[in-house]
Amino acid sequence: MLGKKKTKDVVLDALWGDNPVFRQVLGICSALAVTNLVINTVVMSVAVIFTTALSSFTVSLLRKYTPRVVRMMIETLIIAFYVILFDQALKAYWPDMSRSLGPYVGLIITNCIIMGRAEAFANANPPAISFVDGFFSGAGYAIVLLAVSVVRELLGMGSILGIPMPYFSTGLWDRWIIMVMPPGAFFTLAIIVWILRSVKLAHEAKIQGAKK
Amino acid sequence: MAIKEKAWYPIVFMFIATLFFSAILIAFGSFTRQRVQDNERIAFERAVLEALPIDLPLKASPPAIHTMYLEYIKDSTDASAGALRYMKNDSLIAYALPLEGPGFWAQIRGVIGIAADKKTITGISFYEQNETPGLGGEIVKQDFRNQFIGKLLADKDIPLEIRMQSVLLDESSVHAVTGATQTSTRLGRFMNDQLMQWLHAMKETN
Repeated sequence: MLGKKKTKDVVLDALWGDNPVFRQVLGICSALAVTNLVINTVVMSVAVIFTTALSSFTVSLLRKYTPRVVRMMIETLIIAFYVILFDQALKAYWPDMSRSLGPYVGLIITNCIIMGRAEAFANANPPAISFVDGFFSGAGYAIVLLAVSVVRELLGMGSILGIPMPYFSTGLWDRWIIMVMPPGAFFTLAIIVWILRSVKLAHEAKIQGAKK
Repeated sequence: MAIKEKAWYPIVFMFIATLFFSAILIAFGSFTRQRVQDNERIAFERAVLEALPIDLPLKASPPAIHTMYLEYIKDSTDASAGALRYMKNDSLIAYALPLEGPGFWAQIRGVIGIAADKKTITGISFYEQNETPGLGGEIVKQDFRNQFIGKLLADKDIPLEIRMQSVLLDESSVHAVTGATQTSTRLGRFMNDQLMQWLHAMKETN
């Protein structure tokens, strides 16, 4: 059974303290590529959460039997297995979304967050807590991606999830086309990472001050 | 010596793990294969029907699309030079010419409808593209596609021109998507190449 404090620490670390995107700067490639529409980001986030949680669980389940020399090959095999499973399911049951995400679902295999959690956590911890760690690491990635995609779709297209937004979808707002183009992702991600890191540093300084 | 430290163990372990995970993927792939093929076929059939003067409900179900396709669309013949034929009461209404060419990011596949006079465009539709959402991806939207309806193929090197927004239109031109110059240019290039080939082949066969 999971220890209560440990689970809470794992969750908070994955979402905030050690957030994969704004603290570890991992998974940036897909964070830039799929965030021009919120719906694409939601599906991509679900795919990453699914893969991170289940691959961490499986890696942990096999950790006592996996020889160290082939450890990373096994981890890659497991990650690829879940990604292909998700990709096939999308192709079969949501073909429009599969076409819209193009090669990015397949590229989750190369997302450093997943291999990072398998190596750093799942290899040394029991399956249940590894699942929790993987799930919330994926969720930590998803939160930042969603923030980026909301800003990009709103400023670039005047909508969120395809729903026209007041003011932004009217003639009063001149659509910032650059926001749905690749440079828009760089600006937005950089600004969001800057804000979140500033908040975190301020929070840490406050805690340090209280301790003194 | 523990079994994990034997020289053969990593090889056997890797082999069994690969076999196990691959077997599940192959089984799942077999389970979904038919569905994936059906999805691809329906996407094409929808594009064909959308490009033709057929009243296709926006939310038509896959079986309804397939039924309409079988009812109205006939295979290409030598006389149609590779274009599918839209037949109603045994008379030819229009041609559906499949188009394919490089977009900005990936291959674009679509269908353009041409009336039986071999001159009037009845519509255009795309069933595969990976252009930038919000920019090049706008080619799939009604606003862009509706411009094609009723346009006439010009008797020159570029039968159907895609012009910048600032340039005035005539009966054989449509406006490009704003902010998607590359997609519009590439689409215009391969669409016109294939239209020219088709018109040439139609002249020769008929």
